[in-house]
Amino acid sequence: MNKRDSANYRMKQSNGEKIFNLFNTMFLLALCALTIYPVFYIIVYSLNEGMDSLKGGLYLFPRKFTWFNYQYVLGNGIVQRAYLITIGRTILGTVLGLTVTGITAYGYSFRNLPYRKFLMAAALIPMLFNGGLIPYYIQLSNLRLVDTFWVLVIPGAFNIWNMFVMMKFFMGIPESLRESALIDGAGEVRIFLRIVLPLSKPVMAAIGLFVAVTHWNDWYSGAFYVNSTKLMPLQTYLQKLFSADSLGMLAGNNQTVAEAAVRGSESSTMTIMSVKMAAVMIGTLPILCIYPFLQKHFVKGMLVGSVKG
Amino acid sequence: MKKLFGNLVKYRCMYIMISIGITFLIIFNYMPMTGLQIAFRDFRPGKTIWNAQWVGLENFWFLKDAEFWRVVKNTIVLTVTRFLFSFPAPIILALLINEVRNNKFKKAVQSITYIPHFISWVVVAYMLESLLAPTDGIVNQIIKSFGGEAIFFMGSTKWFVPVVVIASVWKEVGWGTIIYLAAISSIEQEMYEAASLDGAGKWAKVKYITFPCLTPTIVLLLILSMPNLLNAGIDAIYPLTNNANLEVSTVLDVYVLRNGMQLGKYSFATAVGFISSVISLLLVLSANKISNKITGEGLW
Repeated sequence: MNKRDSANYRMKQSNGEKIFNLFNTMFLLALCALTIYPVFYIIVYSLNEGMDSLKGGLYLFPRKFTWFNYQYVLGNGIVQRAYLITIGRTILGTVLGLTVTGITAYGYSFRNLPYRKFLMAAALIPMLFNGGLIPYYIQLSNLRLVDTFWVLVIPGAFNIWNMFVMMKFFMGIPESLRESALIDGAGEVRIFLRIVLPLSKPVMAAIGLFVAVTHWNDWYSGAFYVNSTKLMPLQTYLQKLFSADSLGMLAGNNQTVAEAAVRGSESSTMTIMSVKMAAVMIGTLPILCIYPFLQKHFVKGMLVGSVKG
Repeated sequence: MKKLFGNLVKYRCMYIMISIGITFLIIFNYMPMTGLQIAFRDFRPGKTIWNAQWVGLENFWFLKDAEFWRVVKNTIVLTVTRFLFSFPAPIILALLINEVRNNKFKKAVQSITYIPHFISWVVVAYMLESLLAPTDGIVNQIIKSFGGEAIFFMGSTKWFVPVVVIASVWKEVGWGTIIYLAAISSIEQEMYEAASLDGAGKWAKVKYITFPCLTPTIVLLLILSMPNLLNAGIDAIYPLTNNANLEVSTVLDVYVLRNGMQLGKYSFATAVGFISSVISLLLVLSANKISNKITGEGLW
C-alpha cells in the first residue's frame, strides 16, 4: 500500500470515529484544565488580599491584587536562609551525585570485567531489601552526619537506579572508540573524561535534572535528620508551616520589630492562608519556570532508563 | 589466588571506580542492615547497636496488638486502592493521547500532564488544603452551590483514602504515560495498515494490536511496582496526616516514624520496620516468580 492510499484511508472516518475523536479531545482538554487549575488557584490566592480571599468566590483572577504576601514571605529571615540551603544542597547534591554515580557506572559498564556479576549483585540487593528507617538514622548519627548540612547532600550521592541508567548508556558507546584511544596511549581516566563524558551529555543532563528536582523537592531529610532551623531547606520549612495555624511560625525570631512596624498597616489584610500560598509558590516557581525549557531532557532521561536490557 | 590478584591489578581502574559506589552502598545500605539486630535488642541512647541487651522476640509484641493490625490494614487499604487506580490510569491516558491526530495538541497535552510530577508532595498538600477548604475552598463552594453541605475533606476519616488516591493519580498519571507512549510508538505502523485493509476499526486495532504489544511493558511495570505495595510513601502521606484523620492515615511508615523518631522507641520501631521489609521482599520474589512462570519474563 503506498502512502497516498493510506492517507486516503485515514481521511475516511466513520461517524463513530468522529464522535470518539470529539469526546477524546474534550476529555483531554478537561484533564489539562484539571491538571493546571490547582497550580493556578494557588497563584491567584497568593496574589489576592488574604482577608478578601476568605469571602470565597475566588476562582480565576485576583480580586484585590497585592504583592504583599510575597513581600512578607521573602522579607522573612528564615525563608531567605531556607532558600539558600535549598539552592546550596541542590547544586552540591547534583554535582556530587553525578560524579559519584557516573564514575561508578563507568566502572560497571565493562561487560567483560571479572567478578562483574558479583559486584552487580552487591548493587542490586539494596534495591530489594533495606535496614529500614531507624537503623538508617542510627547509622547517620554514628557518622556524625545528623544535624549537619552534609546529611542533605552526601547520603543520596550514590543512586543505584541512576547508576543503572548511566551504565546502560555507557555500554551503548561503541567499544572501538575506546580501543583506538587505548592504542593512542590514553589511560582509562582520560578516556572517561575526554571521550565517554562528552558523548554522554544527554544522559548526564537528564539524570542531573532528576537529581536536582529530587533535592529541591525533598522535605523529608530536612525534617528528620536536621534539627536546627538554620539548616532547614525550603520544602521542610513548607512542611512545618503546613500545620501552623498562626503566623508565629512564619515570623520566627528573625522578624525585627521595625520590619513589623513598617508592614503593620498592610499586614491586617493578610491571613495565614494567603501567606502560606505565597510561600508555596516561592518554593515551586523555580521548577515551573525551568520545566518548559528542560522538558525534552526529562522525557529522554525517563526513556533511557526504561529500556530493558 | 594469583588469578584474583592478577585481575585486580589488570582492571584496577574499573575496580577503583566501582569501589566508590560500593563504599556508599556499604555505608548507607549494608551497615544499616546490621542495625536490624536492634529489633532483637533493647536499644537505648548511649548504647551501640552491638552492645545493647539482647531481648529475643520481646520487641515483637506488637504482632498481638490490635493497633498494629489496624495500621497494617490502613496501609493495605491505601496502597491497594491507590494501585488499582494509579496503575491503569496512565495506560488508558496513553491510549487516548495516541488517538489524537493533531500533533500540536498531542504535545501540549503531554507537556501539561507531566507538570505535576515535578511538584513536591508538601506543595500538593497545600493545594488540597486550599482547594478543599470547608468555607472558601472551590470544591466546597461548588458543592454548596448545588445545595449540598460542605465537607471537611482533610479532617475526615472517610475522605482520606479517596483524596490521597485522586492526588496520586493527578500527580503521576501524565508522567506514567511516557513509557507507554514510547512503547506504542515503537509498534510497527504496517501492522495497523494491514489491519485497516482487513477492515478493522479503531477499537479492534487497539484491542488486537496496541494492547497486546503493550503487555510486556505493563507486566514489567507491574512487577516493579510490587515492592511498593506495602510502602505507602512517607513522602506523600506524612504531610497529609493530621489529628483528625489519624485513625486511617497512620500507615506502616508513619507508625515507624512516630514511634522511632518521635517517641524514641527505637527497638520497637525497628522491629515493625523489619516485618514490613520482609513482607515487601516476599512480595517481589513471588511476583517475579509468578511473572516468570506465566509470561516467561521477569526481573531476573
